[in-house]
Amino acid sequence: MSREAIQHENLFPECESLMVEIYERCSEKAPNFGVLAEHLKDSLCKTVRKYLQNNSSEEPTTEEVKNFLRQIQADDLFLAIACANGNERAWWEFDQQHRSYLERVARHLARTDIDAQEVVDSVYVELYGTRVVNGERVSKFATYSGRGSLRGWLRTVIWHALVDLHRASHDEVSLDEMTENVGEGYAHATFAKVNLGGEVDRINQIAKDRYRKATLSAIENAFANLDDHEKLLLLYYHVENLKLREIARLVENSESPLRGWFQRKSVSREKNPATRIHESTVMRWLEKSYAKVLKMFRTELQAVHKLSEDELNICMELATEDLAGQNLYRNLTTT
Amino acid sequence: MENKEFINPQDIQIQGLLDRHLRSQVSRNNSATQERHLDEDALAAFAEGNLSEREALPIVSHLVDCSFCRHVTAELVRLDLAFADDEVRVAAGENQPSKISEVLSNLLSRIFGTNDSAVFAHQEKEEDSENTEDSKGIEK
Repeated sequence: MSREAIQHENLFPECESLMVEIYERCSEKAPNFGVLAEHLKDSLCKTVRKYLQNNSSEEPTTEEVKNFLRQIQADDLFLAIACANGNERAWWEFDQQHRSYLERVARHLARTDIDAQEVVDSVYVELYGTRVVNGERVSKFATYSGRGSLRGWLRTVIWHALVDLHRASHDEVSLDEMTENVGEGYAHATFAKVNLGGEVDRINQIAKDRYRKATLSAIENAFANLDDHEKLLLLYYHVENLKLREIARLVENSESPLRGWFQRKSVSREKNPATRIHESTVMRWLEKSYAKVLKMFRTELQAVHKLSEDELNICMELATEDLAGQNLYRNLTTT
Repeated sequence: MENKEFINPQDIQIQGLLDRHLRSQVSRNNSATQERHLDEDALAAFAEGNLSEREALPIVSHLVDCSFCRHVTAELVRLDLAFADDEVRVAAGENQPSKISEVLSNLLSRIFGTNDSAVFAHQEKEEDSENTEDSKGIEK
């Protein structure tokens, strides 16, 4: 057993029996994988350290660790450990269960079938591991923690492999530009430089510039003052162009923290926390975020820039002219 | 939308303003400002909605600032939906896999133009008689 694992065991001796229980369950289902109890325990401890201890000064309670361990995708982790160890039977199982899925995902993402095959091949090589460190082969499987499903992890590995493939063939392109070419990509936009015409009165122009500057500052600060989960929702919707149903998918799990943060004060959630999240719910969250932004935006224009209600309306109209904005309901026509 | 006429015009205006602001912000601040990206394990777990509040806090904070990782998670959500109804298992025998060492050796030959058998030198042996039975179909 590694030193880290021993340390962890000392911290949470109450979890020992649960880990044994998980091992026995997995081992019963896959007795030929050759995974030792210590292998699984080491991996579980590593996962606990990574997700529960790494980013918090507060130590997790025993109950938190137990709940966490119960949520681990133990069968997937067991398979991954066995594959990392090079167990033939486990690899056969993995190949049987996941190869065609990997190929379909790669074909979905890649531009050509050749690219897709190349990516799947390189992922297989990476999963097995060709690098040897201190006499031991390093398998990509060792980085899978069991926190999410193995299939979800494989999707991510395929996605990254595809980005790497593109980077290898386009040395001069930045990572940001590259990611735009994988999947559906971005649609960047910038503030339009409005051409007001050469005949615009100079004084008028100066006033308009002042309003524009105030508007930009107010919108920037209003966004900056949102909570992170609200920012992320808006970024997913406006920058990543995720549709409402795609965002709903992201928060489908009733334990989803994003969902929890938005519904913290919701009466309906308290009554029935497992209710399905519909597109209309995500739309309401967006509307609440917009309302919050609008309130802070107006407050800054009035309090900091000392603008009157009329001037505030001018700011909004100027912004509308400049930006020809889209509205929240654009996705409802397409979903 | 039936109730569209009741929407405050400022609500629509603020959406447009925010939309352009966020897009222009992303154009200016690319992910190069981030020292480290999230690993595949964390990205996948987040995209599946599996993380607790305690685990998700630092990740959400990272995603707000890192356009690269955020884009990956968005693509993963799309992929997840695209394959939601996908048949997950190929019927047994339909696609009989080869012995894994052969599969990987072939891959290496194709990728590097050589058969690097040394890499597989420590390949595990059959563990017991049950294994032999199970492995019959996949060995030559």
